[in-house]
Amino acid sequence: MKPRWAKVAGDLRSERGRLLLMLVAVAVSLAAIGTVLGSWAILTRDIASNYLGTAPAEATLEFEGGVSDEVLTRARADQAVSVADRREVIAGRVRVGDDFRPLLLFVPERFETMRLNTFRPLDGAWPPPAGTVLLERSGLEMANATMSSSLRVKLPNGRPSTVTVSGLVHDPGLAPAWQERTVYAYATPETVAMLGESPTLHELRVQFASHPRTVVEAENEASALAARLGGVHQLRVPPPRQHPHQRQMETILLLLLIFAGLSLVLSSVLVATTLAAILARQVREIGVMKSIGATRAQLAGMYAVMVGSICGVAVLLAAPLSMLGAFGLSRVVSTMLNFDLTSRALPWWVLLVLVVAGVLVPLLFAAIPIRRAVTIPVRAALDTWGVGERIIVRPWFPVAVRNLLRRPGRLALTVGLLATAGALFMTALAVSRAWERNLEKVKETRHYDLEVRFNTPAPDALATTLQQTVEGVRLIEPWGFEPAALARPGAIDVVRTYPDRGHGSFSVLAPPPSTTLISLPLLQGRWLASGERAVVLNHVAFLQARTLKVGDDVALSIDGVPSTWKLAGVVEEVGSAGVAYLPSDVFASSQSTQGRSRLWRVVTAGRDDLERATVIRRLEEALSREAVSVETVTPFAELKTAIGDHVAVLIRALLALAMVLALVGVLGLTSAVGTSVIERSREIAVMKTLGATSAVVRRLVVSEALVSSALSFVVALVLSLPLTLGIERLLGMLSFLAPLPFVVSWVSMGLWFALLVVATLGATLLPIRRAVQLTVREGLS
Amino acid sequence: MDNMSTNERQGQLIELRDVSRVFESPAGAVTAVDRVSLELPAGAFIGVVGRSGSGKSTLVNLIAGLDRCTRGSIRVGDVAVDQLDEDALARWRGRNVGVVFQFFQLLPTLTVAENVMLPMDLCGTARGAEARRRALELLDLVGIREQADKLPTALSGGQQQRAAIARALANDAPLLVADEPTGNLDQQTSTMVLDLLRSLAKQGRTVLMVTHEHDVERRVDQVIRLVDGRIGSPS
Ligand SMILES: Nc1ncnc2c1ncn2[C@@H]1O[C@H](COP(=O)(O)OP(=O)(O)O)[C@@H](O)[C@H]1O
Ligand SMILES: [Mg+2]
Repeated sequence: MKPRWAKVAGDLRSERGRLLLMLVAVAVSLAAIGTVLGSWAILTRDIASNYLGTAPAEATLEFEGGVSDEVLTRARADQAVSVADRREVIAGRVRVGDDFRPLLLFVPERFETMRLNTFRPLDGAWPPPAGTVLLERSGLEMANATMSSSLRVKLPNGRPSTVTVSGLVHDPGLAPAWQERTVYAYATPETVAMLGESPTLHELRVQFASHPRTVVEAENEASALAARLGGVHQLRVPPPRQHPHQRQMETILLLLLIFAGLSLVLSSVLVATTLAAILARQVREIGVMKSIGATRAQLAGMYAVMVGSICGVAVLLAAPLSMLGAFGLSRVVSTMLNFDLTSRALPWWVLLVLVVAGVLVPLLFAAIPIRRAVTIPVRAALDTWGVGERIIVRPWFPVAVRNLLRRPGRLALTVGLLATAGALFMTALAVSRAWERNLEKVKETRHYDLEVRFNTPAPDALATTLQQTVEGVRLIEPWGFEPAALARPGAIDVVRTYPDRGHGSFSVLAPPPSTTLISLPLLQGRWLASGERAVVLNHVAFLQARTLKVGDDVALSIDGVPSTWKLAGVVEEVGSAGVAYLPSDVFASSQSTQGRSRLWRVVTAGRDDLERATVIRRLEEALSREAVSVETVTPFAELKTAIGDHVAVLIRALLALAMVLALVGVLGLTSAVGTSVIERSREIAVMKTLGATSAVVRRLVVSEALVSSALSFVVALVLSLPLTLGIERLLGMLSFLAPLPFVVSWVSMGLWFALLVVATLGATLLPIRRAVQLTVREGLS
Repeated sequence: MDNMSTNERQGQLIELRDVSRVFESPAGAVTAVDRVSLELPAGAFIGVVGRSGSGKSTLVNLIAGLDRCTRGSIRVGDVAVDQLDEDALARWRGRNVGVVFQFFQLLPTLTVAENVMLPMDLCGTARGAEARRRALELLDLVGIREQADKLPTALSGGQQQRAAIARALANDAPLLVADEPTGNLDQQTSTMVLDLLRSLAKQGRTVLMVTHEHDVERRVDQVIRLVDGRIGSPS
C-alpha cells in the first residue's frame, strides 16, 4: 500500500469510534432513502402492469335505456374512440353470516372478448357458467366464501337468491374489497336475468384514440362523444391512467422520501462536523505532510478517500437493507392497491441513486472542512501558536456557555443538526397524530350507527313503525338521497366516479334541517333551514364547484334532472365523497317523493359494535319482511375502517422515519460531545492538576451538552410548528381535500424532550469516562 | 552508502534580499525577521543561533518555503521561492528541501519505513519495492534499520529524530533544514545527530540548522546570529 493510503487506513483505525457514528448515520439514512425510493420504483412499475394492464376505461357513458347495438356500433366507428365495450354494474348485497354486505356485481357483455376494465381469471371457470359468479380475490374473506360456496345475494329487485362461486379473478382496477368493505363479483348477463334483474347493459365504456392525459381532456372527449351519440344520461370520467389510491400513495411516498433525504443531509452534516473535529486534531500532521511536499489536492484526496470509504461501506450496508425494506413496504402498499408485485427486483437506477447520494452528498458536505484544513498555511499548521480561536465570550456568561461559544460554528452546526432532527421527529409524530385525530372527526361529526339505502324511496311511516317495534332501535331518521352531479348548463352531467361507484362519486342528501345525526363543522355560511330552496355543500363538493360563493346559485343535476339551489354554506366532511345537502321537505316536494325517502339513518341503543350489530340484524330482518328494496346497509363502524385503512401503513412508515431522524440527531450529539471533550483533554488535565475531581469534570461536560440540547429543543419546537402545519395541509388536501386538524402534540414534544435528555446523558458517558481516566500526564501531552 | 557518495550533490546557493516577516496578532504587529539580506554558500553546514524569540525559526521557515515573507525576495538555487504558489511550493519543497523538526513530527499511524516513504509517494519519486528499498537504505544510513517496521511511538527520542532525518533525505533534497533538531534530546544522542548532519553536509548538501548548542561555532562551517530579527554581529 502506498504510504499515504497507509496513513488513511491508520486514521480510519484510530478514529474508528467516530467513524462508526458516521457510518451508522449515513447507512441508516441511505437505507431509508433506498426503501422509499425502491418502493416507489417497484410500485410505479407495477402500476403499469397492474392498473394500466386492466385497460381502464377513460370514460363511462350511461344510457338510461341501455346501450343499444346501434349506439355501440356508432361508438366503435367513431374517429375519437379507440375501444368501446358495454357493461353493467349492479349494486346489491350479499349475506355474510348474519349480516349483509355491499356487493358490486360487474356484468361485461362477453367475458371472452371484453377489452376494457379487464380482470384476470385466477381459478375456476371462465366465463362463469349461468347461475354462478366469479369473485374478486380481495373480497373472499369479506364474503366469507371459497370456491363453489353458495352466496345469498339480494339485488335491487329485493328477492333473495343464491349463486355459486365458480371462480376467482384478480381485478387490479379496483381498490381492495376489504378496504372498501364491498364484495366484488362478476357475472354474465344471462346470470343477471336468472337472478331476476334486467340484463340490459347501461354503460358504454370507452378509451379514446387521443389517450387524454388529464381529467379535463378526458371530460372534453367524453362530452363531445356523448353529444355525437345522443341519449347519454350521465358521464363518468375518473382521472385517466390513475388508480383511485395512486395520488395518495405517491404523495405520501414523496413525503417519506423528503424525510429520508433530509435525514441523509443531517447525516452529512454529522459527517462534516465529525470530520472537522478529526481534522482539527490532524492540523499538525497536515503541516508536516505539506512540509515534505504534499499538495492541497493530494491531502484533500486522502481525506476524501477516508470519507468516501466510510460512505462506500454505508452504501454496501444500505443496499441490501433497502432491497428488503423496499420489497416489504411495496408489498404492503401493493395489497392496499390490490396489486400483484411482478418482481421484487429493484431497478438498477435505485442502486445508482444510493451510490451517488450515499457518497456524493456526504462528500459535498465534507468538502467544507477538508478545504479549510488543507488550505491552512504550513507555518500556521506547524506553529505552536495554533489556528487562532476567535474569542467572543464575555466573562459574565455561564461557564458552559462560554465553553460552547469557543467554537460558535460548531455549536451552530450541532444545534442545527439536533434541532432539525428534533423538528422532523416531532413533525412526523404530530402528523400521524393529526391523521388519527382526523379519523376521530369522522366519528365525532356523525352520530348514527347505521345507514340504510333503498333502491326506491321507502315510506317514512315504515321508519316510524320500525323505530317503535324493533328492539334496540332508538331512532330512524328518513333522509332524501339521490345520486347527483353538479350540472353544467347545456351539457351532460359529468362525475369523476370510478367503476367502483364509490371513489369520486357525488350525491344529494336531504336531512331534516334540524337533524342531530350529523354535526359537520361549517367552513362558510350557515346550515340549512326548513322550507328554503338552499343547498349546503360539503368541502369535497365545494372544491369541485371551484368558483362558487355563498349566496350563488348552484345547479344540481339530481338523477339527471337539473335544478337550482342557493348556496347557504359549506361544511367540512372528512372521508366522504361529494355531497350536496338539501332540506328534506323541499327536496321531497321537488322530487315528488313526499312521505318517502331513499335513506335512513339509524341510531341504536347498542353500546358497542357487537350490540349494535345485533340491533342491525334485527332491523334487517324486519326490513326483509317489508315490501322495500334495500340497496345497502352500512354500519358506521365499517365506514370508519374504510376511511382509516387507506394509508395507515404509510403513516406508520413516517413514524419509522422519525426514529431514523432521532437516531441521526443523537449520533450527531454524541459526536459533538466526544469532540469537545477530546479537544479539551489538555484543559481538563490542567484542571485536574489544580485539584478538580471527576465530579467537577463530569458536571462541566454534562452541563455543556445539556445547554446545547436545550437550545436545540427550543429551535426544534419553533421549526416543527410551521413544518407540521405545512405537511398536515399537504397530506390532508391530498387524502381528504381538507387540511388535517392542526394538533399541537404534547406527546411528541415530551417524547423528544425525554429522548434528548436521555441521549445527552448517554452521549456524555463515554467521553467523560475517557477524560476522567486519562492521567494528568497523558492529558497534558 | 555508495550511491550517495558517488552521486554527491552540489548544494544550492541561498540568497535573501531585504526579507521581512511581520506577524499580525491581537497584541499588535511583531516583526520576527527584519530586513535580512544574506547569501549562503552551497554545501555548507550553517548554524542559526540567537535568543529565544529572535526570529530563528521564522528565518529558516522562510528559506524552506514553509512560510512567506511579507517583503523582500528569497532565492534558493535558481528558484524564486517567494514567487511560487502554494502547491508549486509544496512540490518544490518535497524535492528540494528536507525538513527536520524539533519534535520529530513523525506521523503516528505510519511505521517508520512508511514515514520515510511518504515523501517519495507524495512527490512521485519512487514507489513500491523501490521506495521501500530506498527507505531501508536511508534508515541504515541513520542507523535505525532494525526499527523500520515499528510505529514511531515505539522508538526513543533519538531514534525518532534519526527517522525524521531519514525522511528529510527521502527525496535526496540538496537543502536540509533543521529547527532545533537536538532540542529534545539528551547530550549523547544530540552529538550523534549533529555528527549525522555534519556528514550529510560533507556529502555536498546545504544544511541549515537552528540550534541552542553553546559550542556550535566549533561544529559548523558558518554561523548566522540573529538579534531581534536582524543579523547580529558575530560574537
Ligand atoms: N504565528 C505568530 N504570530 C505572532 N507572532 C509570532 C508568530 N510566530 C512567531 N511570532 C513572533 O515572532 C518572533 C520570532 O519568533 P520565532 O521565529 O519563533 O523565534 P525563535 O525561533 O528564535 O524563538 C517572536 O517574537 C514571536 O513572538
Ligand atoms: Mg524557534
